[in-house]
Amino acid sequence: MDFPNIFKGNYKLLAIPPLVLILISIYFIPQIKMGVDFQGGTLVTLNLKGAADAEKLKSDLAGEGLVAGVRVYQTTTGYKAEIEVPQSQKLVEADSLKSEFNNMLPDVSLLEVVSMQNSSQMNEYLAKRADLEAVSNKMFALAGVSRKDFNITGVIEEQKLFSNAYLKIYSDYQSSISKPIEKHISYSSISVQTVSPLLSSQFISKAINVVIFSAVLSTVFVFLFFRTLVPSLAVLTGAVSDVLIAMGAMGIFGIPFTLPSFAALLMLIGFSLDTDILLAMRLLRRKGDPRELAHGAMKTGLTMSVTAMVAFGALFLLAVLTRIPTYYEISAVALAGLVGDMFATWGINAVMLLWHVERVRA
Amino acid sequence: MIDLLKDSRFLVMTVFFLIVVAGIYFYATFSGLLLILSLLIFGSFCLFSKDKRIKLAGLGFLVLLALANVGLNGLKYGIDFQGGTRIPVVLEKPVSADAMSELIDIVKKRVSVLGLTEAKVRAVGDTQINVEVPSSDEQTIKFIEDTLSHQGVYWGVVDGRVAISGEDIYSTSITPLSSQQLSQSNADWGVTFSVNRHGAEQFAAVGKNKADYPVYMYLDRPTNAVLFLSKADIRASLPEDSSEKEALRSLADALELDSNRNILVFITEDLNLSSLPKPKDNATRAIISNETADSVKSALRNSGYVVTEYSKSEISPSFNRTRSEVLTVAKLEAVGLLSSPLLSPGLATGVPNYGFSVTGSVPGTGAQKTAEATANVKKIESILKGGSLPVQISLGSRTTLPASFGQEFLRLSLIGVAASIVAISLLIGLRYRNLRATIPIVLISISELIILISILGSFTIDLAAMAGIIAAIGVGVDAQIVITDELLKRTDENTEEKVEHAFDIIKTNVIVATLSMIPLLFSGLVEIIGFAISTILGSLLGYMLSRPAYASIVEMVIKSRDDTQ
Repeated sequence: MDFPNIFKGNYKLLAIPPLVLILISIYFIPQIKMGVDFQGGTLVTLNLKGAADAEKLKSDLAGEGLVAGVRVYQTTTGYKAEIEVPQSQKLVEADSLKSEFNNMLPDVSLLEVVSMQNSSQMNEYLAKRADLEAVSNKMFALAGVSRKDFNITGVIEEQKLFSNAYLKIYSDYQSSISKPIEKHISYSSISVQTVSPLLSSQFISKAINVVIFSAVLSTVFVFLFFRTLVPSLAVLTGAVSDVLIAMGAMGIFGIPFTLPSFAALLMLIGFSLDTDILLAMRLLRRKGDPRELAHGAMKTGLTMSVTAMVAFGALFLLAVLTRIPTYYEISAVALAGLVGDMFATWGINAVMLLWHVERVRA
Repeated sequence: MIDLLKDSRFLVMTVFFLIVVAGIYFYATFSGLLLILSLLIFGSFCLFSKDKRIKLAGLGFLVLLALANVGLNGLKYGIDFQGGTRIPVVLEKPVSADAMSELIDIVKKRVSVLGLTEAKVRAVGDTQINVEVPSSDEQTIKFIEDTLSHQGVYWGVVDGRVAISGEDIYSTSITPLSSQQLSQSNADWGVTFSVNRHGAEQFAAVGKNKADYPVYMYLDRPTNAVLFLSKADIRASLPEDSSEKEALRSLADALELDSNRNILVFITEDLNLSSLPKPKDNATRAIISNETADSVKSALRNSGYVVTEYSKSEISPSFNRTRSEVLTVAKLEAVGLLSSPLLSPGLATGVPNYGFSVTGSVPGTGAQKTAEATANVKKIESILKGGSLPVQISLGSRTTLPASFGQEFLRLSLIGVAASIVAISLLIGLRYRNLRATIPIVLISISELIILISILGSFTIDLAAMAGIIAAIGVGVDAQIVITDELLKRTDENTEEKVEHAFDIIKTNVIVATLSMIPLLFSGLVEIIGFAISTILGSLLGYMLSRPAYASIVEMVIKSRDDTQ
């Protein structure tokens, strides 16, 4: 398995393909589809009893007032349908009303207790109570219930009915999804994953934290390790390019951005630094013609990439057979990133390092 | 071989190996951690020893430990692979890490009361808790959902009447007393709360002239139950100077309640199994210790009771002696009695009162005292808030996966694991065209895989972990390729220098791989933590164990090659 040394001749031209790839990727990155994890909403996965047509299911569900994306797959365990329902605006609103209500509650409760014993604060209490009622009226309206149906005497009842209204909105939302499904689809098992607005915003903030931490940790380590500017920058540029290319592929191939694909992207940082560091160490710490050294490193590096591709390829095949989203998202992102890593490492990173080494030696 | 047996390091390793095997057998819950510990210890042997046989022995011992763990304890799978049901519990608002672990404990306790010790409870972010049970039985699931969604009912009972109940308490008014208020009332800890008019009037009526009576604080007191205690249960924490008779009298006092909601107490040793006390109806619960003889339990069932079993600590009452030398029941968890503060004379005047506080003192000094005081505050707060969960919850939609699907997924995934090993072996074979270099790579990959699966399987193998395992095979091979390439290179360096070169690269790679994944490990994003764990363990495993072992194998191979040339 010998291949020609691509670093002979004007190696700087090697940077062109990866740069083109990166530009294409940057164009496609905004088109990445957010999965349920980060966008909120509901994903229903059903194992069907027989074959089904996605378009027909979609129009059947729409006929019941359920607008949802429907996909049907044939897997080794039979037919499988995925129904994705976007976040309900009602739920988002109910969540914000709820936090508004909970913020007002302690004050109003306190005033109610005080005003029962001392009428001087009665007016203040009544004003605050009215504000609270305004909030819960909005919630009652969302839930389709009316204040007149209840006999609310104090804040404690108000709170209880408010919670019930909130729960009703949630269960209405759930049955608005499950009823049409029950009616039109016969299935052998069902999985419903609802990510509330609150949970998805939490996932996002946690994911951002994780990215910041691992970027900082890796950067600090790389700088400490090389202690010179150009090699450190070259290695980091390689890793960043790789992640960009992987994200571009997510946009192009419609791989959704979910927790598993996020984990795969993080792993790519580590993997792409692996090959970048291998190359940098061979070039910087070893004697000999740098272009020959780069070629040697490339042989090792490509073997590493190919074995990793084989493993993720197996996972990808498994994902195609079973349609397990976790497998699909991890393996597809990893494969894209491994391909991207070849371009980023042996195009961008190698070019920067060779230029640096040849300049220093001259 | 003979001199290896005489080697002291080898003996130390053998002894450690045997200890860990015993540990895995006797402390199955900690087997995963024990394996990680052994990984670190054998890893250090491999890393710091120059002797190739010691390095190989380290890997060998670890593989044996991994196999022993699988053999003795089996592997644990998530519901994706064994089928089952996941019920998300959605919290009303985000909670702190402390509050979350407290919540998880409470949910665990609630679920395990149902005898579902196999249920897994874990946090997802800070607003959700997932409960997973390996069962898709409709009735079991319904039961769990009921238990989880149900809000606890708080009653404060004074002299056999409900003086105060949770639905009259302003939940937002339940707060710890400030240190100033504490010093005023001369207490170490305290919780204050306010009630509405109904609550104030009811308390005034019931508590009138009942100064120094205990207020029995119940959470979810059963309304139709009979308590069967053994003499040992009663004796368990009875003060030395008290008689059984006195204990029974105070139990009867604590369990008394109007409207025919009394809980009667019987002593199991005194029961005549052929003529047991009759249950009120077919829903009457017999509350009994799980250590009771089966004959008693079945006799109770036969006479129409619903038998509910509790652990010894839940069913043994604990007692207090008041200043006026009266023996009172302080706690009896099996019936929901969680605390019994005394009614202060100021509240016994019959005048409606809107603000209450529960206070107490704790012995000791310093940090221990503060900790105990805080624990008491938390306990009382959670009782008063009735939910016993400090935040309101709602149940999300459940996911049920039939066992047959899970098994199919597992089967296919294992085929995937095997396929990727075969494919990688072929690839390595093609690349090096040298059987002696290929076989060690394959063998080591398999050993790595065994160790990784055994460690992850003692926690839980879910989809993300399985994906991580498959990934680790591919990525784990990488370092071995680095070593092989260095060793096969024909330069003027000697083998040791080459290995050192390779290890410099590998060490850096492992550090980078770990650094980029470690933030994920601590993020609390449980869906993908399995992936992070297998990736990190995979690289650690490779660095510490398989790579040194591999290097020594290949060195031998190359030496023999050079010798034959």
